[in-house]
Amino acid sequence: MSKLLEIITSEDPGLRNLSLDAVCKGKSIDFLLSECDVLDGLRIGNSNLYQKVRGLFFLYAIHRFHIPFRDGVDEKSIIPYDAYEHLLNRRFNESIDILVLKQKENGPNKGLSSALAEAYKKLAFQTLADQVKKSVRSTLGNKWMFRTGHPNDHPLCIKKELFITDKKTGLYPVLHEVTPVRMDISHSGWSDIFFLGMDYPEGANVLNISVDLSIKNEKDEKPKPPIETFFRIIEEPILRLTSVDLGVTTDILKLADVFDFAKDYLGLVKAAVIASGIVPPAMEGADISIADLFAQMLAPGLGIEIVSQVNGIPKGSRLAVSTNLLASLISVCMRASGQTNSMTGKLEESERRLVAARAILGEWIGGSGGGWQDSGGVWPGIKLIRGVISKEGDPEFGISKGRLLPQHTILFSDQVNEITRSKLQDSLVLVHGGMAQDVGPILEMVTEKYLLRSEREWDSRKKAIEIYNILVEKLKDGDIEGIGEFTHKNFEGPLQSIIPWAGNLYTELIIEKVKLHFRDDFWGFWMLGGMSGGGMGFIFEPNRKEEGQDFLQDLMCGLKNEFERSIPFAMDPVVYNFSINENGTYSSFNHGFAALLPTGYYAIRVPSILKEKMQNIPISQRNELEQLGVACKTKKDYSSFVATLFDRMIPQVTNENSEDQSLENLLEKHGFDAVFHNQLKADLINGRIGLSQNRLPISTKITDVLEEDVNIALNGLGDKYYQKGLQSLKNGEVAIVSLAGGVGSRWTKGSGVVKSLNPFAKLKGKHRNFIETHLSKSSKISMLCGVDIPHIFTTSFLTHKAIDQSLKRNGNYGYKGPVLLSEGKVIGLRLVPMARDLRFEWEEMPKQLLDEQQQKVQESLHKALISWAKSVGEGSDYTDNLPQQCVHPVGHWYEVPNMLLNGTLNQLLKSFPSIKYLMVHNIDTLGANADPALLGLHIEKGSALTTEVISRNIEDRGGGLARINGNLRLVEGLALSDEKIEFKLSYYNSSTTWVDIDLLLEAFDLTRSNLAESTKVKKAVRKMARRMPTYVTIKDVKKRWGKGQEDIFPTTQFEKLWGDMTSLPELTCNYVAVPRMRGQQLKEVAQLDGWLRDGSAEYLISICDW
Amino acid sequence: MKINKSVITCAAPKQRKLPLQTLIDRDGKEKTVLEVLVEEVLNAGIDNIGCVIHPGDEQSYGEVLGDYKRHVTFITQKHPLGYGHAILAASDFVGKEPFLHLVGDHLYVRRGEKGCAAHLVNVAEKEGCAVSAVNAIRESSISSYGVIGGRRVKGTSDLYKIENVIEKPTPTIAEQELFVPGLRAGHYLCFFGMHVLTPSIFKILKRQIEYVGAGNRINLSGSLAKLAKQEQFLALEKQDWRYDVGTKYGLLKAQVALALSGKDRDRVLTELLELFTSRELGIIGR
Repeated sequence: MSKLLEIITSEDPGLRNLSLDAVCKGKSIDFLLSECDVLDGLRIGNSNLYQKVRGLFFLYAIHRFHIPFRDGVDEKSIIPYDAYEHLLNRRFNESIDILVLKQKENGPNKGLSSALAEAYKKLAFQTLADQVKKSVRSTLGNKWMFRTGHPNDHPLCIKKELFITDKKTGLYPVLHEVTPVRMDISHSGWSDIFFLGMDYPEGANVLNISVDLSIKNEKDEKPKPPIETFFRIIEEPILRLTSVDLGVTTDILKLADVFDFAKDYLGLVKAAVIASGIVPPAMEGADISIADLFAQMLAPGLGIEIVSQVNGIPKGSRLAVSTNLLASLISVCMRASGQTNSMTGKLEESERRLVAARAILGEWIGGSGGGWQDSGGVWPGIKLIRGVISKEGDPEFGISKGRLLPQHTILFSDQVNEITRSKLQDSLVLVHGGMAQDVGPILEMVTEKYLLRSEREWDSRKKAIEIYNILVEKLKDGDIEGIGEFTHKNFEGPLQSIIPWAGNLYTELIIEKVKLHFRDDFWGFWMLGGMSGGGMGFIFEPNRKEEGQDFLQDLMCGLKNEFERSIPFAMDPVVYNFSINENGTYSSFNHGFAALLPTGYYAIRVPSILKEKMQNIPISQRNELEQLGVACKTKKDYSSFVATLFDRMIPQVTNENSEDQSLENLLEKHGFDAVFHNQLKADLINGRIGLSQNRLPISTKITDVLEEDVNIALNGLGDKYYQKGLQSLKNGEVAIVSLAGGVGSRWTKGSGVVKSLNPFAKLKGKHRNFIETHLSKSSKISMLCGVDIPHIFTTSFLTHKAIDQSLKRNGNYGYKGPVLLSEGKVIGLRLVPMARDLRFEWEEMPKQLLDEQQQKVQESLHKALISWAKSVGEGSDYTDNLPQQCVHPVGHWYEVPNMLLNGTLNQLLKSFPSIKYLMVHNIDTLGANADPALLGLHIEKGSALTTEVISRNIEDRGGGLARINGNLRLVEGLALSDEKIEFKLSYYNSSTTWVDIDLLLEAFDLTRSNLAESTKVKKAVRKMARRMPTYVTIKDVKKRWGKGQEDIFPTTQFEKLWGDMTSLPELTCNYVAVPRMRGQQLKEVAQLDGWLRDGSAEYLISICDW
Repeated sequence: MKINKSVITCAAPKQRKLPLQTLIDRDGKEKTVLEVLVEEVLNAGIDNIGCVIHPGDEQSYGEVLGDYKRHVTFITQKHPLGYGHAILAASDFVGKEPFLHLVGDHLYVRRGEKGCAAHLVNVAEKEGCAVSAVNAIRESSISSYGVIGGRRVKGTSDLYKIENVIEKPTPTIAEQELFVPGLRAGHYLCFFGMHVLTPSIFKILKRQIEYVGAGNRINLSGSLAKLAKQEQFLALEKQDWRYDVGTKYGLLKAQVALALSGKDRDRVLTELLELFTSRELGIIGR
């Protein structure tokens, strides 16, 4: 029997918990392939969720971490396009079938394994997501919503109490729900992810507290439930949704708009309307008006208004604000429609469970997701949330070991007494560090690691469960210092062992400095939610808590200033006041004067009402304005409303940017060519250039390379080249150029952080950034050859200052050799994209289809963004953002010519006349160094350029090495006339190029001696630039607003790319295939975990001098 | 168990005129709703009927009953404090016996030969316990009824052991609390407006009044839920039709149903068809 199948199907924990690595380590390729054959059988026709999913993860891991590293596995491969297309369209089984067949025909190779790994992993997560959906839909109390498709079948009516207006004020009563957020003392290693609870209920344990909050040093310091939601009847047959904290309101007239989640910022409120059954999910697609629906549910002419307000708690707080907001909205809607026993007060346990299940449903509908503990704010006080073994009658029975929904056990004062509760409040300082990161990838990593049972992670999980048990006991004993000790141990031990990315440099520095300052009075750090950097807890000796609050506020702000160009911050750090909430979600029924909504609501609504003629304002609204007027004079909360209203109606001129940071100055200072820009803009608007015009003519013949086109250096190049290169290094003939002008928009999703300075991973016990890593490699080579190699970083207006400061602050990271910065001299201004380019990008280019609901949300967002582009003016200058977010570097082609323009090359050659060669590489090609053998090859071949390529894996998109009409050259993905062609190209460009300086200068009509003649240099560069194609690209740019809110806008920019230099006939080019470890690029944060585990990190450490 | 008495409730302020509405019964004779109900009870072999009415309604009710008046005792509900309170008002009339109960605003049209009430009384006497008539209703309409949850009694096709009763639930609550195995998806067993109850219900209703305080309204469903917890309480699924004459077009629907089940069926059908063709299709006269 297959060893791995035995592990998967065994009931014996000893066998079941064996790691995949333990079985596969050192095993032959034949063994691995035969195990794959058996496991692939689990994919079809197995109803046991656990067996199926674990089998899929095993298959993923074998293809990702084992097969590619076995001897005899072919480096070069072609991935069938059909399989890729199926993968993009989420037809994972079909994709796998093709790939497995291809593997059987041609034998294993790295490219096919990369595609199989991707397909198995995606299928595994899809299987899990499908089961969650199925379970939520099958939850009793939810089923009816999936079969109520017509208004005449709508079974809900709004409670009659809500229809009775107050005789004195004329106001409709308001149902007002207040809901705390949750903070978790321990989640036992993210055991609240759905699959863990369903497969390992005994290990799924969370200790979580409902809390009220306020922001320290703000006027209203007393903590209160951060979430408030309101429900009332209005005299218009519409659904009016308002988010006070986001400052938006919308009137929905058509049912279809309730399902259009990304049309405005009210997607979460809409998801609540659906998940609460007011507009049941089965009504999606019904062509009816809200008026018709409400005529049935309420009465003709009436409508519903729902308002949400989050009091000052920013996004990314790790306190599950959005899930609890969703739960609060669902609860208020359920109460109003008679789905709870009581309209006011606390909920009953069965009702809380249903609200939690519907919050999961709402998250799925809205295309987001979290863990099952997140709706903890619905329950009161302190509670244990634990997985439950499924029983007959549960929708999960026979499918998974545990139920989807856990069991909540409230710890009342007989278990955690009042003294302990107040002691906890006296010691804990809650903060938001200001980082807002996506915790989604972490939850996926946890699932994967749980299923693979890798020794280190599995031991850590067991340790995390032990710590959870200790924490429960410490809490019952009232030992707050002990809680601090163990939450700290939890963070430093199991949490970061399972997921290294839970920690980061910023958090580490805070902890280190707090420790140093408070010594024994700092009892411990407490990570909240999925990762650190956002919401965090620090436990102090009670007498020093207040000092701790002030200290942390200053410390976090100081660190934010220091790191804001290298770590993505979404907002300024804040310190909270907090108290334990003993009610959970709670509702009151407000009548008469008390039925006014919060002032923030009126600040949004009143300006548009005042623009109406008085006779057009419905009487109910006039009554409300009248009462608002009275409230402004008599109620303290409303006293400043008039001033707020004025500010809103007549916006003040903000002067956020000092003059030298204004967009105009920035453009002028950094070489913006307005004439060139306007020409490109006109071409774009007139349709002469655009995404589709980037492509080579359809008649172009693009074929894969021939065997003799590429030098193979996969297993080294032999001593001859090595010695030749080493000698050249010893002679001081080489300098390294790291391209660091770009910000790495994919790395931080357009947040404007300088990627090269981002401390991306902890290596050799320290967080390292890209620049320090590249310098360390140069240091090692310098030691080898006994010469300090000059290292140049090319920069741009976006990165120059930050890199310069960082190098100075850190003493060039200890690098002994010369470090030069080559500052960019060309800048572009982003444009609002053309709708046709957005459509081309989103609708015509192959794109990964998302899970059903996420895809709907994305399509709705795309629709909204196309409308945005049209409304603000297609092809107009993009200026509605911070100046540095409006400008862009103009592609890496300019980075080497910049060295000519700004004199860096001249300076280098003057200081080091022996230099003949440059190794130019991208900032994210971490494995590239001045390898003597490759240098030797470059010298031996005598080419102007030697470009390093790698064999293609599934993720390597964006062109490659090809024969274009018979001529060997690099071709950009943007230029390929058909996306299928890329799949016929064996090699991908690693973007590392060895340059013969003199031959390159020759191509520019320059020599070393005339590099100082700036006019001549400028002319030469301009002449060459004209020969290089200009590509139109779409880049995402973040715009931050409110409290930690971020919008992502697509913008158009122009780029010239270095790879096109290989198309010049006068430049001789040579190509060499290098190992993946050397040539791969880290483009996205999501790649990091695999990179750390597949040997890439070890390889990097081996070529660094740490 | 022998059932000798019946209680008809007609006292609800908004419904007290409904039993006085006239229509044509299956036998082609003009009758009031109350007369039809009294005949239904008499047909079940019960000739001692208590009619719970609003104070001051004795005369008008007495007038419409005619000969049937001798079978009826009027019981006045002094204050309109809910359905449960109306039943409790009949406790002295009923004494310590089981009794048949009908609501005064519903009309029943039997599918077979046997009357609805007669069938219910037979089953209750045979089983020796309280039995409520129920029928399966789609979830979109259950918010108008008392709804039961329970399990089918083994060996029967139409009897259920009641485990829970909830008044006018939403489907959200019904799905969780009122599941009945064997029913079609989205269907629940709702009260038919006809029950055989044991005198225990009076004790429960009294306790209920003590709990909510005198002067507050009580409904019957809460007490029926308690009855199910303390003694055998069955539900009889009826295939007959019932019409709530208090709803919009309720009286019209009841009239059409009676006519289509009675001796004038063909005539009524023909006239309805003529009406339809002339008005809606415009065929006549062309």
